[in-house]
Amino acid sequence: MKRLMFISFALLGAMLLSACSGAASRGTSWPGLAADAKNAYLANGQFIYAARLSDGSKLWQYPDKGGAQEFFATPLLTPDGQLVVGSAGTDQGLISLDPATGQQKWVFSAAQDRWIAAPLAVNDTLYAPNNDGSLYALKLATGDLLWSLSIGHPLWGTPVTDGKLIFLTSLDHFLYAVDPQSHRIVWKTDLGGSAAGSPTLSTDKTTLYVGSFGSRVFAINAADGSIRWTAKTNAWVWSDPSVNSSNVYVADINGQVYSLDASSGQDSWSNITPDGPITGSPLLTTDGVIITTESGFIYSLDHNGKELWSTSIGGKIYTAPVASGNLVLIAPLGAQYLLYAVNEKDGSMLPWHFDGK
Amino acid sequence: MSWWDLIILNPFTNVLLWIYNLIGHNFGLAVILFTILIRAVTWPLNAQQLKSAKVMQDLQSDKEWLDIQKKYAKDREKLASEQMRIYKERGINPFASCLPTLIQFPIIIGLYQSVTRALAATPLTLLQLARSIYPFMNASAIIPLNSHFLWMDLGRPEGLPFPGGFTLSFLPYGFPTLAIVVALTTYLQTKLTLPPSTNPNDQTAAMNSMMSIYMPLFLGWLVLNYASGLAIYFVASNVLGIIQYAMMGRVNWRNLLPGGNQPAPSNARKSK
Repeated sequence: MKRLMFISFALLGAMLLSACSGAASRGTSWPGLAADAKNAYLANGQFIYAARLSDGSKLWQYPDKGGAQEFFATPLLTPDGQLVVGSAGTDQGLISLDPATGQQKWVFSAAQDRWIAAPLAVNDTLYAPNNDGSLYALKLATGDLLWSLSIGHPLWGTPVTDGKLIFLTSLDHFLYAVDPQSHRIVWKTDLGGSAAGSPTLSTDKTTLYVGSFGSRVFAINAADGSIRWTAKTNAWVWSDPSVNSSNVYVADINGQVYSLDASSGQDSWSNITPDGPITGSPLLTTDGVIITTESGFIYSLDHNGKELWSTSIGGKIYTAPVASGNLVLIAPLGAQYLLYAVNEKDGSMLPWHFDGK
Repeated sequence: MSWWDLIILNPFTNVLLWIYNLIGHNFGLAVILFTILIRAVTWPLNAQQLKSAKVMQDLQSDKEWLDIQKKYAKDREKLASEQMRIYKERGINPFASCLPTLIQFPIIIGLYQSVTRALAATPLTLLQLARSIYPFMNASAIIPLNSHFLWMDLGRPEGLPFPGGFTLSFLPYGFPTLAIVVALTTYLQTKLTLPPSTNPNDQTAAMNSMMSIYMPLFLGWLVLNYASGLAIYFVASNVLGIIQYAMMGRVNWRNLLPGGNQPAPSNARKSK
C-alpha cells in the first residue's frame, strides 16, 4: 500500500514537472513563417515545412523525423536561392536548405546557444545574431565563419542594413550599429528596455524605427544613433514597426495599435484596441494594415484605423502575418491547422489548410 | 488568468524577481535565497511531518501493534479494524505525515515553474513573464535576467563539455555535473534522515530504503533534462533539509555506514 503510494507520488511528480516543461518543448513553440510567390516555408516545433500555396499540399519537411532541432526563428529566403533557419534545439545549428527539395546544404554549429532571430543576407555574407549574444558573419554559400562580434545578452531581432552598417537590437536594452568592414560597434542607443523585435528602416534609409519593452517607440538617426523622437505606448512593444513613407504602424502587448507620424511620432489613431495582445508586426497592404492578435483574430484596418474586415482562425497568433500575392498567410499556435491563408481584400479563407501531414 | 497563476505562480515569480533585484541581479543566488525562504515558511509543515512519522515509526516496534500483526496475520479485515482501534485509542492519524507532503507538493511545482518562467528562455515564456510581473516591479528594468551562475546557464540543462570535443547522444549538454550533485545530495538527505528501524518486517523502513535509491535517480534524471535553475533548487533544498533535520536532532549519521539503518545514538534520540 505504502509502496504503491510512493510510486504514485513519484509518477504524479514526474507528470506535473513534465507538464510544466512540456511547455518547454511543445507549448513554447513560436512559429516562423516566410513565403515566396508559390510556396510558404513554416518553421514550427521540430520541423520546417514547405507548403504549396495553390492547394496547401506539403512539398517537404525537414528533418524527416523529429530530433535535436526545435524552431522559433523565421526562415530566410536568400537572394542566391537558399532557405536559412536557425534551430533553438540542442543542436544549436543554423541550417541552410534547398527551398525546392528541403535538402540540407550546410549547417553552422559553432554558436554557443540557440537561434531565435532570423539572419540577414547581404551580398555574399550572412549576418546571424544568436542567443549567446554574438553576431556571426558567415559566408553565404558555405556557412563558413568569417568573423563574429560579441555584443552581449541574447539577440532575438533580425538585423537590418542601410547598405553601410548592420543594425540590430539586443535584450540588453540597446540598439547597435555594427560596421561590417571593421567588425566594430559604431554606435549604440539605449532603448529603455529590452528589444525582442527588429528595427525598421525608413524608405529613404536614414531613420530607424524600433520599439522596446520600455513601452516606447523610437525614431533614431541611422548615421549616428541620435534619437529623433520617442512615442509612448501603453505596454511593451514586441514586434517590428511597419513603415511607409508617412506613417509608422506599431502595436503593443496590451493589444493597442498605433499609427505614428513618421516625422514627429504623433499618434493619429486614438485607442484602436481590437482584441488581445499583439506580438506580430502589422502587415502593410494597399488598403491599410493587417494585424493579428493572440486571441486568434485577424483584422484589416484602413489608414484611419477603421476596421475593414476581421476573421477568426482560433488558436493563438504570435507570428507576424506574411503576404504572398493577394494572400495573407497566418501561422497560429495551438489551432487546428498549422497554416491558414486568407484573401487580403475581404478576409475570406482559402479552402485549404495546412496541417503538416 | 488561472487560479494557479493567481495564487501560486505569479506570487512566487514576483518574490523570486524581487530577491533577484535586491541582491544585485544574481539569479542563482536568488534561487538559493528563495529556497531558504520557502523552507522557512514550510518549516512547521516539515516539523509536523517529522513528528507524525516518528509516531508511526515508534508504533512499528510497539508490543501491542506487533501482537495484532501476528494474531490477525491471516485476517486482513480484523487486522485493519484492530489497527484503527489503536490509532483511535492513541490519537494517531496515520495520514498526518502525508498531509504536509501533499501541501508542499504544489509549492515545489510552483517554485519550479516560477524559476523557468522567470528565466524566460523562449519568446513565449518571456511573454508569459511580462504578464506575471506586478506593475510595481518595473519589469522592463529587470529583464533580461542574468541567467549565468558559476559555469551554468540556469535556463538550460547543465553539462560540462567532454574533453576533446567528444559527444554522447544521450548527454547532449555534456557531462552532467549538477545531475550527479543533485542525485548525491538527495541520496545523502534521504539516507541521513531515515528513521531507525528495529523491526525486520517494518514496511515503512523497506519503503524508505527503496526511496533512498529511486528518488536520487529520479531527481538526477529530471535535472538531466530540465533547466539547471531547478537543479540549484534541488541542491539547496537537499542541503537545507539536512541542516533542518540536524537542527531537530533527527540526522542519523550511522545510516551512511553499511548496514547502518539502526537506532540512532542515544544522545540523538534524547534530543528529539
